[in-house]
Amino acid sequence: MGLIQRAIEEAEIPTISISLNRTVTEKVKPPRAVLVGYPLGHPMGRPFDKKTQTSLLKEGLTLLRDIRVPGTLVDASDRYHF
Amino acid sequence: MLKPAKDKLLASIFTNSPGLVNLWAKKVAIVTNTSTPWATAAEDILRGPIALVTTAGVHLIGQPPFDMDDPEGDASFREIPSSAPAAALTITHNYYDHRDADEDINVVLPIERLQDLEAEGFIGKIARRHFSFMGHILGSRLERLVGETAPAVAAEMRKDGIRAALLTPG
Repeated sequence: MGLIQRAIEEAEIPTISISLNRTVTEKVKPPRAVLVGYPLGHPMGRPFDKKTQTSLLKEGLTLLRDIRVPGTLVDASDRYHF
Repeated sequence: MLKPAKDKLLASIFTNSPGLVNLWAKKVAIVTNTSTPWATAAEDILRGPIALVTTAGVHLIGQPPFDMDDPEGDASFREIPSSAPAAALTITHNYYDHRDADEDINVVLPIERLQDLEAEGFIGKIARRHFSFMGHILGSRLERLVGETAPAVAAEMRKDGIRAALLTPG
């Protein structure tokens, strides 16, 4: 996913990704990422948990607007986990 | 054991064992980059259009599924109309446990949550289409992804005037 993200950013479109694994993200180095504590297959959390999904989406988009340092990985895993 | 059954069993084990995923991530040859590309985000970026991109193997029920038989994966992509109802979407991807996402596609592609944010005015405009890949792409297929299909999606997004994109894994 990070490689696709980098290609989009190279086309001058700002991007952010939801990360499920710090090690992978630190290797691939996308421009911006927010780390959550969910298991594989659940980047937005539990099914039908609209409140949490909405909160995470808002946070991701706000970070996309506000992050100013290339390669920033924001750790939100203490708030977004099962 | 047949490949699909084996893949699904492994996917279930990995999904339920974060420690194993970490071990895998430390051992395998993941592409390691030393720098990152950067496009400065304008302050009014949330006005959009905003697109979603996923590697969770999501596609419209009527679109060709991703190729699960090639051990190197499938580097192709699918366009998802942003107005598509959740019921029109499905997932072809044997390398993670997507039973929860099958119940609610927003678990991997927050297509309806983005519609909610547009309705409440948190964002301006949603892109006319989102894009979907399958993850787990290796070898020559990875070369095709990096050299061909990922830049192709980026070019399509430029055509759509996309100003911000959020990506989700499977």
